Amino acid sequence: MKSNLLGRLLTHTFLILVGLACLLPLLFSLKIALEPTRFAFQAPTWDWHDPSLEHFIEVIQRQDLLLPNWFVNSLFLSSTIVILQLSIVTTAAYGFARLTFPGRNFLFMLLLFTMMVPGQVTMIPVYTMIRDLKLLDNYLGLILPAMANVFGLFMIRQFFLGIPRDFEEAAMIDGAGRWRTLFVVMLPQVRAGLVALGILTFLGSWNDLFWPLIVMNKLEMRTLPVGLTVLNGSYGAERALVMAGAFFSIVPALILYGIFQKRIIQGSMLSGLGGR
Amino acid sequence: MLKPKSWRTGRYIAGNYLFILPFLAFFLAFTAIPIVQAVFMSLFDWPMLGKKRNFIGLQNFIKLMDDGIWWQALRNTLFFAAMTAGGLTAFSLFVSLQLNKRGKGRNLYRFLFYIPVVLSVAAMGIVIGWSFSTQYGLVNALLGTIGIPQINWLGEKELVIPTLAIATLWWGFGGPMLIYLAGLQGIPKQLYEAAEIDGASQFTTTRKITLPLMAPSIFFVLVTQVIAHIQVFGQSYLITGGGPGRESYTSIFYLYQTAWRYYRMGYGSSIAISLAVIILVLTLFQFVVNRRRNEVEY
Amino acid sequence: MNKVLAVLLACLIGGTVGLSGQADASKPIVTEAGSATAKTKLVFWNGLTGSDGVTLDGIVKKFTAANPDVSVRVEKMVWGTYFDKLLTSLVSGSGAPDLFLLHEFEIPQFASQGVLYETSEFFKPKGELDKADYEPEYVKALLYNGKTYGVPLDRHGWGVIVNKDLFKKAGIDPAKAPKNQKEFIDLAIKLTLDKNGKHPNEAGFDDKNVAQWGTFTSWSKPNFLSTLWQYGGNWTDGKGKATLDTPEAHKALQFWVDLIYKYKVSAKPAGFDGWQNLANQKLAFIPEGCWIYNFLTDNKVNYGVWEYPQLGDKKPAVWTSGHVMYMPATASGANLAATKKLISYLAQNTATWATAGMPAANLKVRNALKASEVPVAVAYGTSFKRQGQFDIAHVSISEIIDKGYAPELDNALNGLKTVDQALKDANKAVQEILDRS
Repeated sequence: MKSNLLGRLLTHTFLILVGLACLLPLLFSLKIALEPTRFAFQAPTWDWHDPSLEHFIEVIQRQDLLLPNWFVNSLFLSSTIVILQLSIVTTAAYGFARLTFPGRNFLFMLLLFTMMVPGQVTMIPVYTMIRDLKLLDNYLGLILPAMANVFGLFMIRQFFLGIPRDFEEAAMIDGAGRWRTLFVVMLPQVRAGLVALGILTFLGSWNDLFWPLIVMNKLEMRTLPVGLTVLNGSYGAERALVMAGAFFSIVPALILYGIFQKRIIQGSMLSGLGGR
Repeated sequence: MLKPKSWRTGRYIAGNYLFILPFLAFFLAFTAIPIVQAVFMSLFDWPMLGKKRNFIGLQNFIKLMDDGIWWQALRNTLFFAAMTAGGLTAFSLFVSLQLNKRGKGRNLYRFLFYIPVVLSVAAMGIVIGWSFSTQYGLVNALLGTIGIPQINWLGEKELVIPTLAIATLWWGFGGPMLIYLAGLQGIPKQLYEAAEIDGASQFTTTRKITLPLMAPSIFFVLVTQVIAHIQVFGQSYLITGGGPGRESYTSIFYLYQTAWRYYRMGYGSSIAISLAVIILVLTLFQFVVNRRRNEVEY
Repeated sequence: MNKVLAVLLACLIGGTVGLSGQADASKPIVTEAGSATAKTKLVFWNGLTGSDGVTLDGIVKKFTAANPDVSVRVEKMVWGTYFDKLLTSLVSGSGAPDLFLLHEFEIPQFASQGVLYETSEFFKPKGELDKADYEPEYVKALLYNGKTYGVPLDRHGWGVIVNKDLFKKAGIDPAKAPKNQKEFIDLAIKLTLDKNGKHPNEAGFDDKNVAQWGTFTSWSKPNFLSTLWQYGGNWTDGKGKATLDTPEAHKALQFWVDLIYKYKVSAKPAGFDGWQNLANQKLAFIPEGCWIYNFLTDNKVNYGVWEYPQLGDKKPAVWTSGHVMYMPATASGANLAATKKLISYLAQNTATWATAGMPAANLKVRNALKASEVPVAVAYGTSFKRQGQFDIAHVSISEIIDKGYAPELDNALNGLKTVDQALKDANKAVQEILDRS
């Protein structure tokens, strides 16, 4: 479709402005993190004042913050949750997609129904359960509740349903059982879906705030987002430090995004959630 | 094509269950049963510590109806959700439409626009919260260069929720944008070519062809965004602490403080359930309106 | 490109974890004090996540150096979650620390659950500490149902910090503190300037373009309470009735609200950082807590200190609170003995603690503090002896403050509600909580 010059110019300008709006706050925050703190409490300017990495180094080393612990916790938890969740969800998705057993449809309807119940309803009971199991300040306290991702189940099941039955028939003829069929024949087919879900789950877990906030109290057990709220709340006067801390959360997410761009975008579109 | 028959016989049924068993176990333990427990808890005066809990029936809900803080938090939350969901739905669509026109540079823009989405709410709060700082923020600095005096974005009653909505828009617009882009790709080019031959202007084309075809996506985005943003917590908790006064205090924030600051689990559960009911009603309402709209068109 | 990014990510992770291992000599590692092979290992919790916590760790290290058979692990958390974690662990009996800090007004909240160790044996005649070394109202604040709990570490509270440079610029002597409301307001007016150099009492004063503020309302609770007490009022009558909708409360809150809207000598609290503006020469004097001390020295502010001025008309008063050391009720054995030693040590070595701005609780130590070394602690400490007052403690005190009246004070100060409406609502909320207990 041909559009006139003015239209094109406006579109161009608009897109550039939006792009700038996306980048500027991040760049500005980076600038604060690179300069001495007192410049954070003055009106921002374009010129540089003694840039250095001191805040980044300080935020890693301070014993009353333990940022490396937060980082490692987030990394460990997100990775573990992805791996475990994918295993459990995929097997169940296959079960619901292809295998028969009494009550299958009823169960599936039940699962779908609970998707309509917003998450915060279960927060208090699950917290009480985790606390009574003495799993507060324990990685399991965050991992266990994250296993039954109904939305993920729904998504992977859709993928399985989309595969022609020929593959399973062929596998059966070759004498393969259900488990072998799943692992050897079916999994490779849904790889795109698995990667997409895995990335969504990873990012979701990496960025989760509420759950880790109430489950992890010990400073060294906290995750990055929770740690950042501590940093922002109690150390607000050390603004450059806070910004430096924030970047330890932002940069890995950005790098992962850079690497897995295509998958993430695919995943967002497939899931229909868009990521937010 | 028939299902592998042999997997349907009784011999295999037990094995089939094994596939879904781990998932079911976790689901029961951490979703299904807690939902029932939440309803149960809301009927009690249930302190977080100690053993005493008293059955008080619907007292929690009755007290909630009379709770000024609950109503204020709800008002704030609904206002925020409406602004944010509406803004996101419309703005993302507008961006997608513009982006769809561009051939070159499209991927670059798409990459850039999605960057804020991968931030955690905490990181976003720190970055955007500071950008809106009255004296030291980027926004006021930029406005200052064109002569606009400092605006107290996060400190004025009328501005704080719109500001949080703008921040959330910045954070999330890349998401729905992707959904829209996928939808726009799906519109057959012939339609546009036909419109051009008929001499339709760009504006008319958009209005009569693109938008109606995008209607399902738009509806989907709107519904999911409303649900998501009614559950707002992080922005309020980290950026404003609910202030000034209680002007940006949200329902989930109230839930958090009731259960984990004031140790009142029963009352907290009643807050959670009431909010869930409101979300369900709103969602149903949107579906009904959408169906009516569709019926009218045909 | 992906490979580059992946390598970058790996470096980031490696670098973060790796660098964390290297200790910076100027910032001592303070989580563990004492040798790992010590016979008795204690755990000490507190909520001092700032530089004052680091100072406290230093004192603990001195203790373990002098007592090599004891090691202490200091764990710090933000006050908010600190209470949750503490209360839960104390009530459930598992994972409780040997020693922890609380504020004195939190005693009922914890003592009512029966989780605090009674400490009368720390004081004479059984112990070495002397109750006479503490202010009578402090000793009283440690009581719950007739029993004594905790050993005081410090008494911290409110006063006024002054930016001497701005006073000198205006030709005013920074040592002359205002003696009443009128002097306070007049001084603030003289020190408030818009960008054209006009004062709030001059025609054409541009309140949208203020270059320098005279004062600031800061943290509303201590200001409100101090002024309220000076008028002879309080937030409750101590017998289950909320007294926030009273003439005294109105006068107290109205004073602070008027500073913003009537006299225009203070900015609205929302969006205004008092500390930063003081350091940036945009604020002349500010009521603040003694813990601002490290900030003042870090930012090289040319500061002066005043005792909290007499704003009300009935009696002198200023809000104070105290960090008090406690043990769980279940303490026993070698850990109990070691913790007792640690408490005694800390209680008597609070001179170092004063370098964080905190006046010692122990009067002998407080009187020995030198103004030249710890000016803020000395000035505040003297004020507390004369007019310091503790808040009334209550079982649900945090809910009363957080949910009851603090947001309403905020509402009034930000012009969202009238003083009348704010106090009415606050009174209703606090009464509801009092009725529930």
